Amino acid sequence: MEPLTLSKAEILAVLPAGALFVTGLIQLLSDLGDPNKTSRQEKTHLAMIGATGALVALASLFVQGTAASTGELYAGAMTDDLFGRLGAGVIIVTSLFCTLMAGGYLSSSGNNRAEFHALVSFSAGAMVLLCQSTNLVSMFVAIETLSLAVYVLAGFFRQQKAASEGAFKYFVMGAFSSGFLLLGMAIIYGLSGASLSFSAIAAAGASDDALFAVGALLVLIGFAFKVGVVPFHSWVPDVYQGAPTLAVGWMAVAVKASSFFALCRFLYHTGGGAYMDQILIALSIVTMILGNLAALNQQSLKRMLAYSGIAHSGYLMIPLIVALSGNDILIGASLPFYLCAYAGTTLAAFGVLTALSKATDKDQLGDLNGLAKSRPLLALGFTVALISLAGIPLTAGFIGKLMIFSDAIGAGFVQLAVIGILTSLVSVYYYLRPIVAMWFRDPRSSFDLIPAPWGVQFTVGACGIATIVFGIFPDWLVELSRISVETILG
Amino acid sequence: MIPELESFKMPILSLVTLTPALGALLLTLIDRNNKALIRQIALMVSFLGLLFSLIMVGNFDATVGTMQMEENLPWIESLGISYHLGVDGFSVLLILLTSFSMPFVFLSTWKAVDSRVKEFHIALLLLQTGMIGAFVALDLILFYLFYEAMLVPMYLIIGIWGGKDRVYAALKFFIYTMVGSLFMFLAILYLYNHAGTFDLPLLLERLRTTNPLDGTQQFWLFLAFALSFAIKVPLFPLHTWLPDAHVQAPTAGSVVLAGVLLKMGTYGLLRFAIPLFPEAAMDLREEFCWLAVTGIIFGACMALVQTDIKKLIAYSSVSHLGFVVLACFMNDVESLTGAILQMVNHGLSTGMLFLMIGIIYERRHTRELADYGGLAGVVPVYSVFFIIAVLSSIGLPGLNGFVGEFLILFGAFRADAVWGILAASGVVLGALYMLKMTKMFLFGPLVHDANRNVQDLQTREILYLSPFVIMMVWLGLYPSTFTKLVQPTLSLYVQMLQN
Repeated sequence: MEPLTLSKAEILAVLPAGALFVTGLIQLLSDLGDPNKTSRQEKTHLAMIGATGALVALASLFVQGTAASTGELYAGAMTDDLFGRLGAGVIIVTSLFCTLMAGGYLSSSGNNRAEFHALVSFSAGAMVLLCQSTNLVSMFVAIETLSLAVYVLAGFFRQQKAASEGAFKYFVMGAFSSGFLLLGMAIIYGLSGASLSFSAIAAAGASDDALFAVGALLVLIGFAFKVGVVPFHSWVPDVYQGAPTLAVGWMAVAVKASSFFALCRFLYHTGGGAYMDQILIALSIVTMILGNLAALNQQSLKRMLAYSGIAHSGYLMIPLIVALSGNDILIGASLPFYLCAYAGTTLAAFGVLTALSKATDKDQLGDLNGLAKSRPLLALGFTVALISLAGIPLTAGFIGKLMIFSDAIGAGFVQLAVIGILTSLVSVYYYLRPIVAMWFRDPRSSFDLIPAPWGVQFTVGACGIATIVFGIFPDWLVELSRISVETILG
Repeated sequence: MIPELESFKMPILSLVTLTPALGALLLTLIDRNNKALIRQIALMVSFLGLLFSLIMVGNFDATVGTMQMEENLPWIESLGISYHLGVDGFSVLLILLTSFSMPFVFLSTWKAVDSRVKEFHIALLLLQTGMIGAFVALDLILFYLFYEAMLVPMYLIIGIWGGKDRVYAALKFFIYTMVGSLFMFLAILYLYNHAGTFDLPLLLERLRTTNPLDGTQQFWLFLAFALSFAIKVPLFPLHTWLPDAHVQAPTAGSVVLAGVLLKMGTYGLLRFAIPLFPEAAMDLREEFCWLAVTGIIFGACMALVQTDIKKLIAYSSVSHLGFVVLACFMNDVESLTGAILQMVNHGLSTGMLFLMIGIIYERRHTRELADYGGLAGVVPVYSVFFIIAVLSSIGLPGLNGFVGEFLILFGAFRADAVWGILAASGVVLGALYMLKMTKMFLFGPLVHDANRNVQDLQTREILYLSPFVIMMVWLGLYPSTFTKLVQPTLSLYVQMLQN
């Protein structure tokens, strides 16, 4: 057996995830025995330092490496390419914002445990690895690690019945879906002559086999659970409603983004076998329609955003379909862009909900009444987020939809674009309802909003501004996502 | 022509378009309690916009029919979107109309709007940028962007400062418009994938030469564009959002809606839907003309039975814009001249009518016709202005309405006598409902005591109404000042369609 030697590239590539894991461990150790040993600020600061460290490590990857893939690291378990870095960037920045918002949120709910930060750090580390993983085992380990952390986050308010119910549901469903994932991987592993890495699987040339299609489908189902694609979505609204608002924001953005990055890489490399495009088309259509229709009549904002997140998963599958269609010019470069836009807007939306629900977990539509009068800037940020989610111009969400639908038409999937447009029209209605509540209605008499902590204000403001800026000058990010997708195709 | 400006190459269209938005940006810095300052700044910004658009008209070469003062900069290069602006005969008068109306709209709101003054003025200024931008944009995505950018401020204006059922009306307005524009968006993306550009002149060129569309493609794409514009016009039977929006909107909102926003629909037909897909437009010509004629008669009949003055004028808009749509589908220079004049005329006369209803509403807080009567003796100056607006609306010779209507009817008769007769009966009905309304409103016995002490027009009000009257008379007596600006473009357009 060869002695274990690590190249410089290999060390650099795990640094971002490593920084996050180490931070999580330190959090736990510092809290050992007495949760009040370290103050809330100290915990927040530690988490911030960790996330910033990860960001610096990520930046050093950009400085050191080139845009192209540096080849297979760790015997093909992971790689360091622009695609992975982009995914890691989204996740680390999201974790930074979540940490910023967490301090005030946790203290108001009388909770000062370090676990929250630690779990966010652990899951963020696993997500970064997931974005970089290029073989079945590393992908599975990353998914399981992040899932375990997020299960606990979902049930973080363990005294509450809804939280426990949601977390339990999430755990059972998640474990179930992991089973699918693993079975699919086993089939693919067996068929492709015991190769683990995506490139070796692709080289094995087993993708025409009918059994390979079954394996790929099972893997897809595993991911479909994670990102909430209809018909594997039933856990999403319940979990979102019961879980702490901030954890929901983290799940909605980071779990979805990292899963899509990984799924994208898996499908682009292996091709997904026969029928994969038809299956994706069917899932995408059903998801867009049901997600948007179910969101229409939700009174709870968290449930509304849950269904809206499901609907966006439907849109996000279109780039995958486009990429699999084998059109050389259109490579589904809209996926990273759309995910970035989605991340920014969803973070802003959940930031506002965090401020609203600080003490009492208010999340009804009526709780927003008159927000524009009491907190105009927060209302403005939320409005920008909603407008972007609805895909109205001058926002990043619009550019994302433009890219997705344009690619769909270009690849000949006009029906997908038509359904996408029709369902976005439906979505306009439910995205407008919070805007109506905030701007057109008067505050309730009992309305007493606790001042939003600066972390929330900063997050909502930064995400709002980024949404507008990338809506007007998206060139840089569009190019970045285009190149990043090109790098995985080689 | 102003030679100094020509050599200086001022980005005049950008100035006209973006000045209001910059003004809105400036307003965000002003303390919200300093209402007077906010109002003055907004007014000054809108006058600046008017000044720039006058310079634009001064620079406009009336002998050329092609695009002028073009600005073409790459914007989102990775997606092929450019910042391409230009003006020709189709848009020049509409831009002028928009910049001309806005200062007076601002003046009219000084008393009417007292809550959230800052937001109101920001919304109106952004709306102005959206409207002018849509008129000058020559890149399809840029156009779509401005087209949608009008939507949000208008939605807020109706929803925040509107009447009792404002939330419902605002939502209806938003959803209706969104339905149309999303299909147009899809069609734009389809065109891009077909011909590889969002640039309108380039697209027109390529569709005719290298990348022709087949019949089915043309049909569906035309429908997608036309649906969006037909909702905006609004063409019967897609008009049902308009009465609600008008009745609930504050005065300024109604004026802008009737004065400019509705023209976006007919402008879009002329600029995009028909020239891009001429064969489909010809195939569907009869259907659209019938809808237009139905709208003329239907709108007029609905206006006859309304008791709410604002609703009456809203339905009269449906009727009047039916004429414009009818003319859009007549491919001859006279009818098209009529269409453009009628757009401007309708903007002036209906805009002024809404302003005047706003004035009386400020004093009496009712819009029911039954609550008025006999006002002529109480407010003589107001009555004179009101009657001028009414006469302009029904197309009295010597005022603006006559010229446009005459040209349109002329064209309609030439195309099909049945359309001509039906459209002409719309004119008769128009006179009927307008005069009936005037009679109930201004004349007759003074039954309600509350009407005895109504204050007549103040100087500020006369100040912002007079320009409308001046323009009405000017357009009525010397329409050639304006028609000569549009005719070269129209001849080129008709030539292009005939090939």
